[in-house]
Amino acid sequence: MEPLADVAMLPGEERVIDKEIIYICPFNAAVKGKVFITNYRLYFKNTDSDTPITLDVPLGVISRVEKMGGASSRGENSYGLEITCKDMRNLRFALKQEGHSRRDIFDILFKYAFPLSHGMQLFAFLSQEKYEENGWNVYEPMDEYRRQGVPNSEWRVTFINKSYELCDTYPTVLVVPYKATEEDLKRVATFRSRCRIPVLSWFHKDNHAVITRCSQPLVGMSGKRNKDDERYLDLIREANGTTKLTIYDARPNVNAVANKATGGGYEGDDAYQNAELVFLDIHNIHVMRESLKKLKDIVYPNVEESHWLSSLESTHWLEHIKLVLSGAIQVADKVSSGSSVVVHCSDGWDRTAQLTSLAMLMLDSYYRSFRGFQVLLEKEWISFGHKFASRIGHGDKNHADQDRSPIFLQFIDCVWQMTKQFPTAFEFNERLLVVILDHLYSCRFGTFLYNCESVRDSNNVRGKTVSLWSFVNSDTSLYINPFYTPESSRVLYPVASMRHLELWVTYYIRWNPRIQHQQQSPVEQRYKELLAMRDQYLKKLEELKLSDSTPSSTHLTNSSTPNAATPNQHITHLQTPF
Amino acid sequence: MELSEHIKTANVEDVTLKRPFHPALRGTLCVTSHHLLFSDRKDEASWQLLILLKNIDAVEKRAVGSSGTITIKCKDLLVLQLEIPGMEECLNIASSIEALSSLESVTEMYPFFYRPSHLTLHGPWGLSSTEQYYKQTERLWDRWRVSTVNSDYSVCPSYTSAVIVPREVDDDKLIRSARFRQGGRFPVLSYCHHRNGMVIMRSSQPLTGANKKRCKEDELLLQAVIDGSELGYVIDLRSAQQAQQARMTGGGFESKSCYSHWKRIHRHHERGKVVQESLIKLVEACNDPSHSVDRWLSKLENSKWLSHVHSALSTAGLVVECVERDGHSVLVHGSEGTDNTLLVSTLAQLILDPASRTVTGFLCLLEREWIQAGHPFQQRCAHSAYSHARLKLECPSFLLLLDCVWQVWRQFPLALEFSEALLLRLAQEAYASNYGTFLCNSEQEKCAAGVKENTHCLFQSLSKPDIEEQYLNPLYEPNDLAIWPSVHPQSLQLWTGLFLRWTEYAQNMVEAREEVWSIVKEHREKAGPDRSNNTPSTHCDTLTPFENLMDELTIL
Repeated sequence: MEPLADVAMLPGEERVIDKEIIYICPFNAAVKGKVFITNYRLYFKNTDSDTPITLDVPLGVISRVEKMGGASSRGENSYGLEITCKDMRNLRFALKQEGHSRRDIFDILFKYAFPLSHGMQLFAFLSQEKYEENGWNVYEPMDEYRRQGVPNSEWRVTFINKSYELCDTYPTVLVVPYKATEEDLKRVATFRSRCRIPVLSWFHKDNHAVITRCSQPLVGMSGKRNKDDERYLDLIREANGTTKLTIYDARPNVNAVANKATGGGYEGDDAYQNAELVFLDIHNIHVMRESLKKLKDIVYPNVEESHWLSSLESTHWLEHIKLVLSGAIQVADKVSSGSSVVVHCSDGWDRTAQLTSLAMLMLDSYYRSFRGFQVLLEKEWISFGHKFASRIGHGDKNHADQDRSPIFLQFIDCVWQMTKQFPTAFEFNERLLVVILDHLYSCRFGTFLYNCESVRDSNNVRGKTVSLWSFVNSDTSLYINPFYTPESSRVLYPVASMRHLELWVTYYIRWNPRIQHQQQSPVEQRYKELLAMRDQYLKKLEELKLSDSTPSSTHLTNSSTPNAATPNQHITHLQTPF
Repeated sequence: MELSEHIKTANVEDVTLKRPFHPALRGTLCVTSHHLLFSDRKDEASWQLLILLKNIDAVEKRAVGSSGTITIKCKDLLVLQLEIPGMEECLNIASSIEALSSLESVTEMYPFFYRPSHLTLHGPWGLSSTEQYYKQTERLWDRWRVSTVNSDYSVCPSYTSAVIVPREVDDDKLIRSARFRQGGRFPVLSYCHHRNGMVIMRSSQPLTGANKKRCKEDELLLQAVIDGSELGYVIDLRSAQQAQQARMTGGGFESKSCYSHWKRIHRHHERGKVVQESLIKLVEACNDPSHSVDRWLSKLENSKWLSHVHSALSTAGLVVECVERDGHSVLVHGSEGTDNTLLVSTLAQLILDPASRTVTGFLCLLEREWIQAGHPFQQRCAHSAYSHARLKLECPSFLLLLDCVWQVWRQFPLALEFSEALLLRLAQEAYASNYGTFLCNSEQEKCAAGVKENTHCLFQSLSKPDIEEQYLNPLYEPNDLAIWPSVHPQSLQLWTGLFLRWTEYAQNMVEAREEVWSIVKEHREKAGPDRSNNTPSTHCDTLTPFENLMDELTIL
């Protein structure tokens, strides 16, 4: 097959249509060229000048395709297509006005961008990509729990959900208090929204405190109680002798109260006497969606210049980031002080996932490693049923769906904020975060498809699609942070004050050509060189020492294990006010 | 009156010191002629805090029962609290500090008493002189000369005794041009571009006045600058309207009809009080103790500080564009030519000239463009962000410069040889210093006060061959190109290293750094002498993550 202009097509990718078109580039003038549409992407290349202008947009990124202007519209380039993307940009194309020239391309785009709305398959199922490593093996629940030190005398593994009978949005392997029987679990499930009972997310090896996650209790207007649920939470508390179990309800207090009207609610003081309830004031998916929309308005296509900071403030995006981060800090701080916690919101798959995974990232340096981060995403987000399909709307034409929300993006932003504040603590770099977000939408890999494990199983995602991690792990050098200094078990508390949060310019404004030159790559490059020099130097030193014979052997150990001897200096920040 | 007569109570025991993010300490407080000294009581490992009284911007007292609390707000933005038993002692201490921190006589200031054993007072003062600069810049020899017309400071009281001017303009013409310029600041050479020989000149505004006066010699002087090439640019740091208005008060601008080969471009820059008030608002916002999320970004924006940074950098970019891209010479001035003019000419050189990006090159640049060019440091830095005194001539022009340099440093992490720590040090020294460098308002005043004979020079001490490594950027890679900073609002950031240096985050970084440092030392002791030979031991004093990172690489 003829190659697609100058990019190689993916195995399984097929050309559908190509067409002369004008790309109305918001940063330059209109650009004449050719657009190629395949079953995976939209690719545009200009033909009118030697300086190449290209677009390479996976169709999965498209949230909306509209016709712009009509056959009788006046003015240059007034007839064409407008494409709204999920990744902070819009694309506009103009076509010749004669002969319904856009009809075929519009129909094809509409069909291939939203395959699920047209009874077709997502590209991930058509892709024939092969990688050495099978990324589906990155996360093995049992291995991960064993790494944490579970099961043990306080916590046990249960397979009660092996065929998703207890809870259809939970994974098959769950960790619960040792003393809780299978019968207990079933009874608790009746009192938790969508049967999402409190289960262990993370176990603190030293003080045995745990992070558990669940959905809201079904208290309702009448203030129902459930003895089994109360006793079950007490089992969580007792497991390591926590005096008062802290329940973090991610929602604002008012929202929690309002949820009673629809049968939900929160743990009342009377019913849960050994627990303390803390509301974290994080808003719901609708608020976050609107916030990001406002952010897009001020950065694309033109960046608001005159009142940049107050415009940014009026989007509240950073404020939401701050609330999520400071919530996670509270969770991490409580756990590292030895108290077990329960985290939930309404259903326990949005804000809850943000809080538990960020707290785990702060508490456990393993998740800050390249592999560990993949495990964290697989575990807290994918296996515990963050509704990726609904939140992103993969392959679905319904762009105004109220279920869509950038919750996962917000989480990745929080991670980015942490990497900014602790530049040596993470083994991966910003590029990995961007790649993850790009493939969150692209539908090229199966990783972020569907809402939960049970649906993924029934669609045989593992068998029929490639994991994003197969791709990422096939060339890790791109994503490695050269400044990474592995450290042991110190807790990382970012400063969640507005003064220390930044807009992630290199993600949100990356389409603007004026922003691009600011990326930090020269520094990274320089570091790589320095690291290489350091290695050389150490080698030399070692040789010198060796030739210097034995008495200085202690020095040798010092110099040959630099990382062990270098300080964990960034990790000394022990407390942070919120 | 002797300085010591201001001291009503020299010593107080049992004082409690409170600093942000530190546990309270009890100890003894002493007031000396120039310092406030607090020493922790513990016998061993005694801890001392020594603050130059000149660093103190505001003193606030409050009575609590029989004791009093003094809040000390420093020009380096630190805020301290002292709880002093005994109301009388408290009031005495406060009034002593107030009196001694606002001394106006230069020769009574601490630099005249600072005599560290490792420095001597003999030898030349400063890094370079106009004559030396001229000698080093071969490109100038042909068309330019050093004039000593100002050797007794009578032509321009705020200039140095020697200035560089076009060879074909004689001293008489200079004198006449000086009479036609505010404060006598006639156009002099600031920089000659190594690539194309184009120059940056600076001056004050011409005194055209309402009657559109002309000065033939001033016109000839500028004509000689461009020497036959068609065009030069006057970058006027005021809006066209402001420049027009200046004529009503005797000032003015270079009109097209009189300076036919010069094209005027106006760029509005805030000055004086407005900039000072920005600083005050910014610091207020940074110190707001409520950690509330709301309004921080608005407050930051409303302070307008970053918009001053933006103006300075973008006008400097304009100058660079004229000189480097279009190949034209430029004259920069505003009104007095002592603040924004220097800010813009300095930044333009930093962007254009690789030589000004080394430690010594940068300090030389500051010496030429700020000290020798007569930025009135004493007036501008009399008070900082906290003072309750009525503002007079204060304006943080120099701080603004350092902030702009920091922005460049942040955007080009490899291009500057110095580190953020050097910028922070300079920010501190400009307001309160052991050295004489930032004393007085001009060279003339320095001479009259005997500054060069009786004080040490900061720049010399900083640029010694054994410069402290904390002031070096370990990532430095010399780069011959112009480094154009992006001036989009998204690219400019708050200089947290300075403005949030006493907050929790900075504190975390300081603690982290201290830990690193102690481990480095321990490491060295263990390793013995042969290690230290090989080991580059960069101790970074900055608060930036990147610097800290480098520690890890270099302390091995």
